[in-house]
Amino acid sequence: MSDNAPVSVVVVDDHPAILSGVEAWYAASRRPITVVAAGDSVREAWTPPGSTADVVVLDLQLAEGGPAFGSLRRLVDAGRQVIVYSMRDDEKTALNCLDLGAATYLTKSEGRDHLVEATLAAADERPYMPPALAGALGTNTRADRPQLSVREENVLIEWFQSESKELVAQRLGISVRTVNSYLDRVRIKYANVGRPARTKASLVARAIQDGLVDVGDL
Amino acid sequence: MGHGGYGGNGEEAAEPMGRPGSGERLVILALERFGVWLRSIVVCLCGALGIVSADTADIPLAVCLLVPAFLACGVRLYALRRPHMFPLALLWTLDAAVVVLTGLSQPVIGGESANVMVEAMVGISVVAFQYEWATRPPAGAALAVLGAAVCVLGDILSSPGDGLDVVPLVRMLIQVCLSRAAYLIVRALARAADRSAAVRAAARREREVAAARRASEREYLATLHDTASATLLMVSQGDGRDWSWLPPRARQDLEAMSAVPGFETGSVDLAALLGCVPEGEGQARVRLKTRIEGPLAIPSGPGLAIFNGVREAVTNVARHAGVREAQLRAWTEGDGAVVELSDTGRGFDPLAVPARRRGISGSIVARMHAVGGTATVTSRPDDGTRVQWRWHGPTGASQAGHGTQVPGVPRPPRAQAQHTADVRFIRGRLLRGTQLAVLLISLVWQFTISLRRLVVHQDVYRPAWAQTASFVCLAVVAVVGGAYLLRGRRLPPTVRWGSLGSVLAVSAVCAFTLPAELSTGAPDWAFGLVGWHALFLLADLRVRVFAAFLGAHVGLNATAVFLSGAPSAAQWATLGISTIGSCGFQLSVGVLMSYLLHGTAPAAGTAAAQEEEMRTRERIHEDMQRDHKERYRALTATTVPLLVGLGHGVLSPHDEEVRLRCGVEAARMRRLFAEGDAVLDPLLNELRACVEVVEHRGVTVSLSVRGKPGEVPVEVRRRLIDPVAVTLGRTRSTARVTVVWTPRAVRVSVVSEDCAGGRDTEEAAEAHSGATNAKVDVARTTRGGSVWVEAGWSRPAISGVDLT
Repeated sequence: MSDNAPVSVVVVDDHPAILSGVEAWYAASRRPITVVAAGDSVREAWTPPGSTADVVVLDLQLAEGGPAFGSLRRLVDAGRQVIVYSMRDDEKTALNCLDLGAATYLTKSEGRDHLVEATLAAADERPYMPPALAGALGTNTRADRPQLSVREENVLIEWFQSESKELVAQRLGISVRTVNSYLDRVRIKYANVGRPARTKASLVARAIQDGLVDVGDL
Repeated sequence: MGHGGYGGNGEEAAEPMGRPGSGERLVILALERFGVWLRSIVVCLCGALGIVSADTADIPLAVCLLVPAFLACGVRLYALRRPHMFPLALLWTLDAAVVVLTGLSQPVIGGESANVMVEAMVGISVVAFQYEWATRPPAGAALAVLGAAVCVLGDILSSPGDGLDVVPLVRMLIQVCLSRAAYLIVRALARAADRSAAVRAAARREREVAAARRASEREYLATLHDTASATLLMVSQGDGRDWSWLPPRARQDLEAMSAVPGFETGSVDLAALLGCVPEGEGQARVRLKTRIEGPLAIPSGPGLAIFNGVREAVTNVARHAGVREAQLRAWTEGDGAVVELSDTGRGFDPLAVPARRRGISGSIVARMHAVGGTATVTSRPDDGTRVQWRWHGPTGASQAGHGTQVPGVPRPPRAQAQHTADVRFIRGRLLRGTQLAVLLISLVWQFTISLRRLVVHQDVYRPAWAQTASFVCLAVVAVVGGAYLLRGRRLPPTVRWGSLGSVLAVSAVCAFTLPAELSTGAPDWAFGLVGWHALFLLADLRVRVFAAFLGAHVGLNATAVFLSGAPSAAQWATLGISTIGSCGFQLSVGVLMSYLLHGTAPAAGTAAAQEEEMRTRERIHEDMQRDHKERYRALTATTVPLLVGLGHGVLSPHDEEVRLRCGVEAARMRRLFAEGDAVLDPLLNELRACVEVVEHRGVTVSLSVRGKPGEVPVEVRRRLIDPVAVTLGRTRSTARVTVVWTPRAVRVSVVSEDCAGGRDTEEAAEAHSGATNAKVDVARTTRGGSVWVEAGWSRPAISGVDLT
């Protein structure tokens, strides 16, 4: 997808207020983003016009109970780019979603600052790392986690703490660009482990193509 | 109690194992008294008899010899009361003089009765010396040797022709050794009892000290909450209001903070105290309608706890109830007091109050709990609030006798039961010790002195087999009883009374199978022996029972003598002297045992309890003083200067900088209050306490946590949170607080969007750094109006990898 093409989105969320907030943020985007369908059921993403949307914004906690991991898996397996957009500020859920192949995991308190960027990145199959997710990856102690360098771990944690790449860059004496490249590299490392998924593979492929990571790093 | 310089001082108290415990000390003392009294009575009685029975011509010389001996006994008895007045050498010389004088009276008085009497006097004396000089065995042994020498000398002088009779000397040696062994056994068990009592007491003391420290900590925190913390919060939140109340209040707070909690003594009139509950001023005024049935005299600890609680509750009415009137009632109930504050305001749901709000839980409930009372809060939304304080006097006798207990430190209600248990334990050990000693005496006596007599005199018994069977029967009784004793078990009643019956049967058989004219003489091996067996069997019963047995035993022998036909006066006299010599001695030992078990054991228990209480009180006092200094020192760098400034008008609450500093200190104090909460993640709990203070000021704070929480020592938590608390305290609008747990470290961070600069933000971490060597790294980054402060601590490398 070219860098200025319009992006279509389907929003699956059972809260109308969230929906109107999301639409307002998208409207302010420099690159056009249109919500083609919205509703309180994951069916919206499978039926036209939602079935062809570039990005699915999925609330994990729909009315019918537990986290909708099954819905997420089916969407990912169908090759859809899914942004999990959740009330749960919970690292276990975030790690599970990444493993299943979600493009990114965003908490609702981060929506204002990060949803637009995350959507664009997902549409382009580029990595995106919001702070809450960075905190989850920085403190991950699961046995199947990818090997991170001390610096990568530090950047993750400090990004989570400060929510400001400028502050992280200043503290570490590096540029914001370098901060971003650390975050991207971690995201790619995560895409390269765990459950195989097409979205994860294309994320890795795109990153190698863009020169974000070296094949030898993985 | 004042025996040989055992007066406790600090050094000895610190090393309780280095000196005899109270049980051992009192046993030694009791045995010494026993020895002196027994010897004095025997010497005086037998000596008087000797003088009376002597020939008229010999009386002056006998008097010259024996009266000084009596005087020496009297001096020795007096010395028991005033042990420090007499040097030990003098006492020893007196004892030696008694033996020598009584021994020399034997040839002077002359005759067979004199021989028996002197033998009894010297024999008893050398046994008694072993108890008198128990702590100095060489002195006792020397006196025993002297006694033996005097006996030999007396025999030689009174009947120069006869050869030296070794048998009485050997008997004397056996008796001396037995007394020494009995002493060692009893002392060993008393010592063991002391040791295990000391171990248990030390554990108990630790618990009591810890409880007292917690109680005083609670009281101090409650005081802080009501005074400095409340004042600082008000200053930090307020602006443009009337601050005229502030300087006096700040000065009062300083006084309250510097007072050591829990050391007020005496009692107070609660009615008078409640009359002084401040009603507040201006808008915060609450009119109190009081109905107090005074006077209400109660100890000052609970009194002040109630007063402080009521004060806090009145301010709560002003703050939360929405009414300007409350009713304060107080009355007596039993030996305690009840105070009740009620209002008709808007009320609340007590269950909905968060745990970190300390007005009710800390100032009212916990404070009352700490002094052994209760406080209950009853409230429902829209239905008013009623707070009730109850305090009741200590129940039971446990607290009555000990006068000045530390007020504010609750004495455990189990103290009396504990004392009883201690006494029972000491008594059990002493009983076992005395039983072992008596068993040893029985067996050794039976198989040395008695066995020799039985063998030598086989031909005089009619029939001999009956006596032999009796001997075996006694041995069986001793062995069976000994088996129970050595296995640490009590004698079952059947065994006890069966054995006693057998012993009495032995007494009868031996009395009736011996020619009456030889009764209690040399061939009568059983007469002096069965008493020991009986004493062993009856050791834990009242001494009356043993006396009754001895009466029956003597009665049987007297009956046998009587039935043998008209006994001579000499026969009666021999029987009488033997009765006094053996049964009298046994009875005195029985009395001694009874005294040890029913007098010494409780006294030892009480003495141990008193010493223990002294030590506990000292420790509590020391620890409280130290804790208080520590706590106050922690505040001197931070809160104290602020309150001093506010109290003397140097710092003005109109100044934003001052208000921000108050906010910081209030947050720090809230963190301190949260330290004591029992929660799974204390770091987060304390952080939340700080966050809440700032949120009260209208600052928006987001708090996120990542990773798996772990253990962080309290001083590290202090140093981790303090920089965050300082930054939060100076934040004007929004802040983000995070806690990150990795397997290697915990990192607490705050990003403040618009942090007011000020001189104390830089020195924040120094304020609490005290003497701890916890390595907490603080990093600080400023960018525009944003301030990012992070404190990190490397965790010890034990946290494993989470495999889930």
